[in-house]
Amino acid sequence: MSRFPVMPPSDQAALRLPGIPAFPSEQQPIARGFFVQGKVLIANRGEIAIRIMEACKALELDYAVVYTDADRDSEHVRRNRLKGPEQNAWRVTSYTDPNDLLSVADHSGCTAVHPGYGFFSEDWRFARRATVRDRPLIFIGPSWEVIRDLGDKINTKRIAQKLGIPTIPGTSAPIYNEMEAEEIAQHILDIQREQNEPNPAVLVKAAAGGGGMGIEEVNRIEQFRRTYRRVQNYAKRQFGDGGVLIEQRLCDFNHIEVQLVCSRHDERIHFGTRNCTIQSTGRQKRVEAAPGFHASCFQYNFDPEQVLDSIVEHSLKLADYVKYDNVGTWEWIVSRSGRPYLLEVNTRIQVENDVSARISYLNGKHPNLLQEQIRLGLGERMDYEQNDVVFKGASIELRIVAENPARDFAPWIGTITRFDLPQYEWAAVYSHVPADRPYPIPSEYDPNLALALVWGDDVQQTKERARQFIDGCRIDGVDSSGGSILTNLDYLRRNIDRLLTF
Amino acid sequence: MNDLIKQLQELEQRIGYLIHIKDSDKWGNLMEFRAKAERLRGSVFDISRDEFADRLGRLEDSIRFLEERCEEGLTPMERVRIVRSPLRFTLKDILENVYEEHKELGGAGEANIDPAMVVAKANIVRRIKRKPYTSSVMVIGQEVGKGEEFRNGGSCKPWGNEKAMRYMKVAETEGIPIHFYVFTPGSYPVEDYPGAAQQIARNLYTMTKLRVPMISVISEGGSGGAEAVGLSDLRLMFSHGYYSVISPEGAAAIEGRVKEGRKVPPELVEKCARQLNITATDNLRLGTIDRIIQEPPLGAKSDDFAFFARIRSEIIRATDEVVLRTKSMRSFRSYEVKRKKAESPDEAPQIDIPWELDEGETDKLLELRSKKYRNMSMHSFGGITMPAENFFKFFCSATEKFWYTFRYDVLKTQQKQVQKTIKELSGEGTALVNRITAPFTRIFSKQEENGSRPVPRSLAAAADPHSAGDYCLIQDPLELTDTYTSPLANEDRTITCPNAEKQGCKDLWIPDLYGEFCGVCENCGHHFPLEYQWYLKNVFDPGSIRIFNNDIFSKNPLNYEGFDERLQAARSKTGMGCANLTFMARVRDIELVVTMLFSDFRNGTVGSAEGEKFVRACDIARRKKRPLLAYIHTTGGIRIQEGTLGVTQMPKCTMAVREYIDAGGLYIVVYDNNSYAGPVASFLGCSPYQFAIRSSRIGFAGPRVIRETTGIDIPPDYHDVRNALKRGHIQGITDRREFRRHLYQVMQTMGSPGLYYR
Repeated sequence: MSRFPVMPPSDQAALRLPGIPAFPSEQQPIARGFFVQGKVLIANRGEIAIRIMEACKALELDYAVVYTDADRDSEHVRRNRLKGPEQNAWRVTSYTDPNDLLSVADHSGCTAVHPGYGFFSEDWRFARRATVRDRPLIFIGPSWEVIRDLGDKINTKRIAQKLGIPTIPGTSAPIYNEMEAEEIAQHILDIQREQNEPNPAVLVKAAAGGGGMGIEEVNRIEQFRRTYRRVQNYAKRQFGDGGVLIEQRLCDFNHIEVQLVCSRHDERIHFGTRNCTIQSTGRQKRVEAAPGFHASCFQYNFDPEQVLDSIVEHSLKLADYVKYDNVGTWEWIVSRSGRPYLLEVNTRIQVENDVSARISYLNGKHPNLLQEQIRLGLGERMDYEQNDVVFKGASIELRIVAENPARDFAPWIGTITRFDLPQYEWAAVYSHVPADRPYPIPSEYDPNLALALVWGDDVQQTKERARQFIDGCRIDGVDSSGGSILTNLDYLRRNIDRLLTF
Repeated sequence: MNDLIKQLQELEQRIGYLIHIKDSDKWGNLMEFRAKAERLRGSVFDISRDEFADRLGRLEDSIRFLEERCEEGLTPMERVRIVRSPLRFTLKDILENVYEEHKELGGAGEANIDPAMVVAKANIVRRIKRKPYTSSVMVIGQEVGKGEEFRNGGSCKPWGNEKAMRYMKVAETEGIPIHFYVFTPGSYPVEDYPGAAQQIARNLYTMTKLRVPMISVISEGGSGGAEAVGLSDLRLMFSHGYYSVISPEGAAAIEGRVKEGRKVPPELVEKCARQLNITATDNLRLGTIDRIIQEPPLGAKSDDFAFFARIRSEIIRATDEVVLRTKSMRSFRSYEVKRKKAESPDEAPQIDIPWELDEGETDKLLELRSKKYRNMSMHSFGGITMPAENFFKFFCSATEKFWYTFRYDVLKTQQKQVQKTIKELSGEGTALVNRITAPFTRIFSKQEENGSRPVPRSLAAAADPHSAGDYCLIQDPLELTDTYTSPLANEDRTITCPNAEKQGCKDLWIPDLYGEFCGVCENCGHHFPLEYQWYLKNVFDPGSIRIFNNDIFSKNPLNYEGFDERLQAARSKTGMGCANLTFMARVRDIELVVTMLFSDFRNGTVGSAEGEKFVRACDIARRKKRPLLAYIHTTGGIRIQEGTLGVTQMPKCTMAVREYIDAGGLYIVVYDNNSYAGPVASFLGCSPYQFAIRSSRIGFAGPRVIRETTGIDIPPDYHDVRNALKRGHIQGITDRREFRRHLYQVMQTMGSPGLYYR
């Protein structure tokens, strides 16, 4: 009926149980056998824009970048041409205005769009619009159907349960009925008691919410109805829908991720696991390490190898089922007792993708996952198999941010006057902050300064190198009231010991 | 000499009146006659009395001749001007001269909740063999006022109509007849509580089943305002009055697409007045009134006392007739009333007919009233079936009625009775058994307690954490999965939300907006209009829609110029015969009847065909004891090209609604997009369950009409549903995406036990 493939209007989650996309992906490129061609619109900012630029250059792909007025001093703009016949940097009003981005794509003759992370990277509507519009673009990322199906946490949970993949015990659809809700809550508390959980508790969440809003904890069933009503009213007010989710509250867990790389030709492999447990109070990751667990760091109550293997296996199973076709991250939490639960799927390249790349070797070299993503997104075959990926050593990513960890990670705004990060052959730095001139941090965006990757032969050596790296950092800056810069370097250094432990 | 001067003055007034009627002093050399009269007055002291009388006599002859010519060739527009003349009689004159004594209720003069609406308790006297017989009546009508600003020219405020309704109920309580006099150019179109449209609807709803005889007489009948006190058992009309769906000027402004502030060409106004069929004879021919009260030539004025005597006898006779019709024993008296009328129309019947009705007579009265309105405008739409077919249909509906009554009235009541008895018996039994076995069970349960705590029932085995999370895979049956996508979505374009500046909404991509957003802005919830087909697919169960009465189609009953072509265009555009689509449908397990006014066909205006389909939908819903949903995709009001035939749809449909609701039905109205004027002021506004889709507008008159009639510049959100909700006009606002769920909930929780599924 419609020229544009459309999903059921009523509910995104309720309807699409199986992961088989209803419409074939429109990103089938021209059958020439060699797909790495055309021009890529880099619809992002900061270090990821630079990393994508570099990847394009390595693949000998033409590209265009966009920038907002606040970002005009950023390296991702300075390294490109802002005017003239060779112009490849275009100013837009916002990174989230699809009209602007698509106009730039059309004007500059782009044939593909790379969303980076954040912004439109997991917006299936944008992905669909880009691929089905009158002048279609290749969306470098999973097909929009996959983004949609896995972008919905409830739906993901439902598919996972169908495949026997463990998820956090709780409802897999919004509950509207108080009595039903109470019965479920009682049941979840009972399970925890049977498992000898010391403090059984359930979480009551607004189904339409996100980012920690509208979540309350209940320890005793007697308090349940009252909390339920409060959350329901909040949800109704805030999101216009009184649906509520109920699930087991988990505490004392590690946050593990599985890096998958898939192609449009039904090839799916993994690049190991990483541990992202160290997060700011706002649940922003600060230090990541690969592999996910290591026996040298902590006396686990379980066999780390076996747990990680099962997580990887489950992740691949789900990816197979939904016909996942680009890079993606499967997020898990693992309890102290070694029980894994699938949390969600991030259908995009992640900030910390390089952590996994630095413990993996393809033909003796670290792979570049951004290059892989672009190559596969354009329709290439993978050309290697799981067995070709060799895992060796460990790696750590440090996110250097101008913020005050003592004051709830409040962002610091000012001008960077000195930005010297050490250089080692066992380290890599990704940053959009220029080292040769002062740089005012734009207040619109997060004050991320740089990502530092260090790697080594084992976890201990890598931790040592990470400390060495931090000690070598020289960052100066001044804010509007003359105060000097605040960074999280000390915080990072303190937390290195905590890596891969409970 | 003084009497001659007086005569001259009168004559000058008559010349002025003629000029007023003709709206020009060119006709019949009136300018010259006026100059002559002036000269005559100037020469009072110069000429002799005889000379003066002679000249005056000649002048009078000429004027009389002109008056006769004028009366012979009165055009509709001239009648309108007669009605609007300040010399014309008003309700006050009638109250003083027709009734013996009267007492105004609900205020007096300016100290009044609405001086434009006058309600009075009055006595009317008839003499039979020199003996006076007094009867008490309630007189309700608009007072135009003679140059009194506060009367507002007879344009009633909503609270004026509310006052009228209150005293109608008083008359009902006291069991006295009501005489309505309609002197209004139209209702004052403000939405302040109780609201122009809503109050007229309430009035109509009340009048449909008011248990006393009602007579209405129309002098100036301006559409909705007239209907507010116009529904009655016998409708009379003064011969020089007019009764119209819209003022001729208003019609001309619409027809000629005249911009606001510009003058409407007088020829166009004249033409519209002619085409709208607004005169008394036109209305009698169309069957929208029952009888005409003859006025003196060129209309009655405040001092035509003979005319007031005629009104008295006519109104008494009319009341007599209405009363007599309800009586089983009446032949001779009816004959007498008729004979008297034929012999001397200015005298009331010389028999005393008591106007109080007993229970049975009142029922008869209501039945006749219902029939009267049911049969209105039956020949002004297409698709009336052949007699044989009619008989077949009648047979079908009769059988159906029998079956549904049997099934749901007789059987269900029986079943309920039996169930109730069984329930009570078993309750008693359980209590008794418990009492006897209590000692034993206590011992037994004690033993139980020693065992383990009972495991919570019904839920999946706790041992397997993999499946432990899965509690509700059952699909919500109120979520429709079959998708219909609006054809509007086939465009690669973005659109800006009207609230973008205030709420910071992002531009919406059309395929998103008209696809899964269902035409709703994600950010602010603004609803963009969607075609009615969307609702057919997304509200009712797939495949459950059965359209009926699709053979009824709109015609051009007044032969309105150029309207045939426009109707034809609407027909070929929509493939529908009229703007009302009636069908049966199902939402989950509940069957309902739906009547839907949609915008594609002449902007959803209501004419005879639409009204008839609506009434039939009510009848079916009543017969089958199903809920009735009036989904108003858009309505632009009454179709003006059908004149008063359109206006009568208001009482006609309201009557059907009232009977449906009284029979235990559930009447739900849902407004969408734009709903204005007549329909809202009658069969829609009278519903106890009115809802609106977000971002729609409901009201009586549009901003332009309000500005032109009241001088008030209304704010842009004046008719918004939120304001309608604040004013208490509707019961709730629903999101389009929630419509189905909402409808189901309404059908489950509202309405009486008379519905079939209760």
